[in-house]
Amino acid sequence: MAKVIRDLSDSSGYWAAIWTMCALPDLHVICDAPIGCFNLVATAVPDYTDAVPHLENVTPSVITEQEVGGAGTAPAVRATYEGLRDAGLLEGKQLIVVSTAESEMIGSDLSDLVTTLKPGTAFYYSDSLSEDEWAGRDRVLRWLWEQFGAAQAVEIRPERGRVNIIGPTYGCFNSAADLHEVKRLIEGAGGRLNRVFPMESRLDEMGELARGELNVVLYHEFGHGLAQALGQPWLHAPIGLQATTDFVREIGRQLGTEAQAERFIRHEKQSTLQAVWDLWKGPQGDWFPTTDIGLVATRSYVDGLQRYLGDELGMPIAFTATRPAPHDGMDNEAIRRRLHEKAPAFVFGSINEKIYLSEAGARHSAFIPAAFPGPIVRRAVGTPFMGYRGAVWIVQEIVNRLYEALYNFLPLDSAYNKQAAAGPPAASGNGRKADAGSLAWQPEATALLDAALDKLPFLPRISASRELQMQVEALARAEGLSTITAELVEAALAARGAGR
Amino acid sequence: MTESIPVNVVQSDAKPCQLHPQSMCPAFGSLRVLTRIEGAHPVMATDTGCLYGLTFVTHFYGARKSILAPQLGTAELMAGEVVEGTRAAIEVAAKEPGCELIPVISLCVAETAGLPEEMLPTQVNGAEVVLVRVPAYAIHSHPEAKDVALAALLRRLGQPEGEREAKRVLLLGEVFPADPLIIDATLRRMGVEETIILPGRSIPDLRRAARVGALAPLHPFYKETMAIFREWGVPIVGGAPVGISGSYAWLRAIGRLLKLDPKRVDEVAEQERAQAEAMVQAQPLSGRILVTGYEGTEVAYARLLVEAGAEVPYVSTSIAQEPLALPDEMWLRSRGTKEIVYRKSLEEDVAALDKYAPDFVLGTTPFCAIAKERGIPAMYFTNQLASRPFFLSGGMAATLGFIRQTMGRHERYTWMEEFFADG
Repeated sequence: MAKVIRDLSDSSGYWAAIWTMCALPDLHVICDAPIGCFNLVATAVPDYTDAVPHLENVTPSVITEQEVGGAGTAPAVRATYEGLRDAGLLEGKQLIVVSTAESEMIGSDLSDLVTTLKPGTAFYYSDSLSEDEWAGRDRVLRWLWEQFGAAQAVEIRPERGRVNIIGPTYGCFNSAADLHEVKRLIEGAGGRLNRVFPMESRLDEMGELARGELNVVLYHEFGHGLAQALGQPWLHAPIGLQATTDFVREIGRQLGTEAQAERFIRHEKQSTLQAVWDLWKGPQGDWFPTTDIGLVATRSYVDGLQRYLGDELGMPIAFTATRPAPHDGMDNEAIRRRLHEKAPAFVFGSINEKIYLSEAGARHSAFIPAAFPGPIVRRAVGTPFMGYRGAVWIVQEIVNRLYEALYNFLPLDSAYNKQAAAGPPAASGNGRKADAGSLAWQPEATALLDAALDKLPFLPRISASRELQMQVEALARAEGLSTITAELVEAALAARGAGR
Repeated sequence: MTESIPVNVVQSDAKPCQLHPQSMCPAFGSLRVLTRIEGAHPVMATDTGCLYGLTFVTHFYGARKSILAPQLGTAELMAGEVVEGTRAAIEVAAKEPGCELIPVISLCVAETAGLPEEMLPTQVNGAEVVLVRVPAYAIHSHPEAKDVALAALLRRLGQPEGEREAKRVLLLGEVFPADPLIIDATLRRMGVEETIILPGRSIPDLRRAARVGALAPLHPFYKETMAIFREWGVPIVGGAPVGISGSYAWLRAIGRLLKLDPKRVDEVAEQERAQAEAMVQAQPLSGRILVTGYEGTEVAYARLLVEAGAEVPYVSTSIAQEPLALPDEMWLRSRGTKEIVYRKSLEEDVAALDKYAPDFVLGTTPFCAIAKERGIPAMYFTNQLASRPFFLSGGMAATLGFIRQTMGRHERYTWMEEFFADG
């Protein structure tokens, strides 16, 4: 039986290439892509994840019928190059041409073409029909080092105390906060930050990575390839109390700053981590053993949260699913089945899990974003999962959502608590049940509805509009009316409590 | 209407290089339409990179709906398993509760590999399987993919046999949910018995759409869909209920087409016109606005803004020039619009920004960001305009109110720009 994907969690090698390379401002990519592959990776998705209006240093060749039909993409790539050159957009920039699934599909190999473009232009085959985003990022980082960094680094030797961080690219969930915390841990342990790559770096300074005595690879999913190429010791960034303590100690050991590392750990226990200790001692900690958790995220996050929330705080871990999914791990089909059957109190995950919870009507499960895909801004540096601050932030999130659950359980006087049944799903775009169809809205009724919607904040208005229409029409049907009157809308609004 | 203005796609003399075409992934238009249908469980035939991106935007703008796809990597493509994989995904979709429709959305890679329709089932467990071919390399813009999807559905599901509902009107176009209510209420006062709106959420609406008395496209890009209705012998109303003169003409056109009581029609049309005129007189717009979205509806919005008193020298959109937009285009050109650009690129929009120094920009996200970097008020056309009423005098009031309010906040844009200028 052929393999069927449900709600793909991991992107492809092409996305990896764009999201890794375009983090470097002195690089420009021509993606050999139809308009869609360009729009999604450079605008539509980063708009709502990394919260950038668009990636400015990528331009598409714009594959059309002509290219697919036999012309090949070389003329389009050349024309794109010439346009960029003439517009002055390539000055001081390394140009890289990147393949996409579609260009690979039509067998477009531009290795020769690039030698006729701007001197030094390179072709990167993104292997997008085979490679996932994690293997892809690892390969891009290694490739950048081999193509550009290694040559710059010939004369550079590691310097005592200098530490690199290898990791954040576009599309890495929560990377701003995690990076910020890991920098703090490195400096707390006595290290000096050398370079962060690729975010916060330039390609023409990639060789500077060789000055690092030690490398911290932010994620388990990628980055170790580059760390190995650099040849210095490396370690993964930590999640949880013990893992973070071990991490700080190991940096101290590697850099010969053990005493400072120990002082930092002691000081953190007395300051940052007091919150965890207090919550543990307080009534909040008593909830932990009965608060079950489902974890869906990258392996870095899942392993870290399992150790911290499960092993250290003692919360029951209902299930875990890691990305990229190992062969024997839960796929989305299994996660969905699990959530439909019995959703745990907390689900860490992506929008996929959020949808499965909605399908299951699991109103009493709290969803905590912990992975892409899904539109979510994580640009604040104060929301880490990693390190000591991460330990505090995560447990604070959980406790506050427990408070929220409690609040929602408290009774509200029934006079204010009448939720009219939403009725069947909307039909006909205007919220009508198709077979009902004959319900006419009097202008006064429409005006009243519009006025009520006007009072709502902007974002919920659309769904409220539909919901209200359904409620009003359900009421009309219940009363056997064929025309929606203002009185009917008033009644529905009163019942809903939105008219107040 | 000035009929003597020659119609041609005017490009400025120094045409900027077109490097960054502006559209959502074209295929998204079809997903937006197909995922929202109650009882539809889509299958996407494509590679993982495409699947990731399109699923993402569908889960943002389309529906909270799980999406299935065959694994189509190098191994499967080499082994020629596109059909087999797609059939397997269809089988899974058919098991979803309440599944009545399985749209199979065939995208670039599957289309290049080949996905013959006759190799797919037409029905599984009573659910209709409908193939929708939307390779981005051939469709060019997402509004046009909405048309492709709707046309594919209507071809399969439409039931033209049976008696025509002479006084039922089909509104064509995705609009804010309150708009069809307003239009419906207005049309009923003229003697229309019912309206249906497509694309919508109802499969029964797709079946009965073929028997309406008239088709009224609210948006200009539903070419294939209109062709189907022509085959079915359904008359099509030109124009759209936009602005003062547009709404007036449209209401009367519907009245003529459906042979409604002219007196009632005139009364309603006059009343609409009076309301719209009063509204514009009370709160006219002033200032220069660029309308540069990629929804395929930009020309109509520009017309509304000009009628309300704004100057709109430049309009651009992702779609190709459509006959249905021609009257609006002529109307705009005769009132000072200098450029109307189809299949536009970011570079053309930026050139217009340099040239016209607007007070307000409605545009794509990259373009709005550039305008905001210059301290110019700007809003993402797609998110902000599609989320409020637009049609007839009521919609006109809502949209113009929003524009006026935003233009009144220009000092916020200046302040932010100045704040970050030395950053």
